[in-house]
Amino acid sequence: MIEVANLRKEFKKTIKEPGLKGSLKSLFHPQSEQVVAVDNISFHVPKGEILGFIGPNGAGKSTVIKMLTGILTPTSGKCTINGQNPVVNRKNYVKEIGVVFGQRTQLWWDLPLRETYGVLKEIYEVDDKSYRERMAFLNETLDLDSFISRPVRTLSLGQRMRADIAASLLHSPKVLFLDEPTIGLDVVVKDNIRRAIEQINSQEQTTVILTTHDLADIEQLADRIVMIDKGKNVFDGSVRTLKSRYGQMRELNFVTESPHPAETLRYREQFHFAEDDVSVECEGTAVKVRFNSAVVPIADMLSYTLQTVQVSDISVKDADIEEIIRRLYMQGVE
Amino acid sequence: MKRRFRIYYPFVNAGMQQVTTYRVDWIFYLLGNVVHSLVSFFIWQAVFLSGSEETLNGFTMPQMIVYFFLIFISDTMITSDASMMIAEEVRDGSIAMRMLRPVGYNATFLFFELGGKLLTQIVLIVPVVIGVEISRFVLSGVVQFSVLNLLLFFVSTILAYLINLFFSICFGFLAFVIKHIWGTNIMKNCIVSFCSGAMVPLSFMPDALKTVFMLLPFASLNYTPVMIYMGVYQGADLLFYFGLQIFWALFFWALSKLLAMVSAKHLTVQGG
Repeated sequence: MIEVANLRKEFKKTIKEPGLKGSLKSLFHPQSEQVVAVDNISFHVPKGEILGFIGPNGAGKSTVIKMLTGILTPTSGKCTINGQNPVVNRKNYVKEIGVVFGQRTQLWWDLPLRETYGVLKEIYEVDDKSYRERMAFLNETLDLDSFISRPVRTLSLGQRMRADIAASLLHSPKVLFLDEPTIGLDVVVKDNIRRAIEQINSQEQTTVILTTHDLADIEQLADRIVMIDKGKNVFDGSVRTLKSRYGQMRELNFVTESPHPAETLRYREQFHFAEDDVSVECEGTAVKVRFNSAVVPIADMLSYTLQTVQVSDISVKDADIEEIIRRLYMQGVE
Repeated sequence: MKRRFRIYYPFVNAGMQQVTTYRVDWIFYLLGNVVHSLVSFFIWQAVFLSGSEETLNGFTMPQMIVYFFLIFISDTMITSDASMMIAEEVRDGSIAMRMLRPVGYNATFLFFELGGKLLTQIVLIVPVVIGVEISRFVLSGVVQFSVLNLLLFFVSTILAYLINLFFSICFGFLAFVIKHIWGTNIMKNCIVSFCSGAMVPLSFMPDALKTVFMLLPFASLNYTPVMIYMGVYQGADLLFYFGLQIFWALFFWALSKLLAMVSAKHLTVQGG
C-alpha cells in the first residue's frame, strides 16, 4: 500500500545572526547552510493498518508526511502510495488520500462549514447519493450538525478539528494522513476523534498514518509504530515489541514508616547502577523507585528494599509507553 | 467542459460569498475606488481648463471623461490579488492545504477571484457607463454610445484580467524565493498602474515610450480596453490589439505553469 524507500530531504537554511546588525548583515551577505531534515527513511505500510509515526519535536515527522502527500518533493529516494508517486501526478494522487494537519485547516475560513463540504463534494466529484450517505455517517461519528451552518472562523478548536477530519474523509480516501489530529483538544473530544478514526479504519479498511505527541493516541489506535529521530528511522515495530525491547524500566512503589528512606536506601551503591538506570522519589511516606530491571532483577531489588526499611503496601509496576518514549527521546537510540 | 464547470463553479460561488461576508469592507472598497477616479478626473480637468486649446494632447473634454472613468472600470476589473494571496500562503505555510486538492492550482485563484469581480462589476459598471454617456451627450450634443464597443470592451477587459492574473501569479511565485513580497508588490502595482495608462493616458507620453508600452503587456491591461470602448481602434487595429492581448495572456499563462512546476520543487513549508 505505502512503500517508502531511502527517503531524504535537504533544506537550505538562511543563517541570520542575532539583532539588527545581524539582519543588516544577512541583507547584504546572506549565508545559508544545508540541513538534512529526513535522512534515509524506509518503511512499508500494508492496507488497513494504522501506523503511529512518532518522534520528538523537529524529528522530521511532518516533513515525511508532506513528502508522502505530495506537497514537498524529496531530495532523493522514493515513496509510492497505491502504486502512485505523489509528486508526479499530484491531481490524480490527492483524490485518493485524505489529509488533516492539526495546526492548519482546509476549511473555508469565512464561509459556513456546510459550504466547504459543498465545494469538496464538487472537486472530488462525489455524487449526490454517496454524499448524503457520507454526510450522515460523518455526522453520526463526529457530531457535526450542531455547528454545520456556522462560519468556520467562529468554531471552537475541537469543533474545527472534527470538521477538518470530516472534510478529509468526505471522498472515502484509501489512505488517511493525520498530522497531530488531537493537538490542543480536551479528553472528551480526543476520545471522540479516536473512536471515529478506529471506526473508519475498521469499516472501510482505510490505511491511516498518524503522527502525534499524545501517546494515548498511539496505544489506543496504532497497530505499529515507526519512530524517527533527527531524520533517521530509529524504531519500527509493534507497541509490544517496543515495550519488551526498551521497556525494562520498572516502577517500585511502597509506603514506609522509616525516617529518611531516600538516604537509607542506597540502591546506586548497592547495585552499581548507572546514572539513568535508577531514580528515587519520596512523597511523605510514599516512595517511588524507577529502575532498569535488565541491570538488577526485580527479586533482588525487592529483597534489598524489604531488608533495609520497614515496608507496608509494596507494588511493582510495568513501565508505561510514555516512560519508554521519554527515555528514548532524551538519550536517543543507539 | 461541463465537469470542469462543476468543479470550479463552487470557487466562483465562494468568491461571491466571501465578498459579501465583509459587506462594509466591500462597500468602502467600492467607495474608495470611486473617490480615487473622481480625484484623478478633477486633476486632469484642471489641467485641461488651464490650457487655452480645445484639446489636450488630442483629447477633447468628453473624451477625457470617458477615458478616466472607463480606466477606472477596467482597473478595478483587472486588479488581481493573486500575488498577495500566494505570498501570504507561502509565508504562513497554508499553501500546503491548497496543494492537497485535486484541482489546478492557478485555476482556483482565477475562479475564486472571478466570483468577487462579477459582483463588483455588476454594481459599478451600470451607473458609471450611464453617467459617462449622459455627460458625454450633454457636452457634445451627440449620442456616441455604441453597444458593440461596450461588448468589445468587456471581452477586452476579461483578456486584460487574465493577463494580469497570470502575471500576478508569476510574480507571487517570487515569494518562494524571497518569502515576503509586500514591498515588492507595491512597486509592481505602481509600475503597472503607470505603464498601463491608468494614471496618465499613454498618448500623453513621448512617442518612443508609448510604442514600448504598447507592445509590452502594460497597454493591454488598461489602455487597450478603453481605446476600444472609445472606438479609437477599428478594423485591422482592433484585431491587432486583441491579438496582442491574447498573446500576452497565453505567454503569462505558460510562464505561470512553468514557475508553478519549478517552485513546487523548491517549496519549503513554513511554520510546521
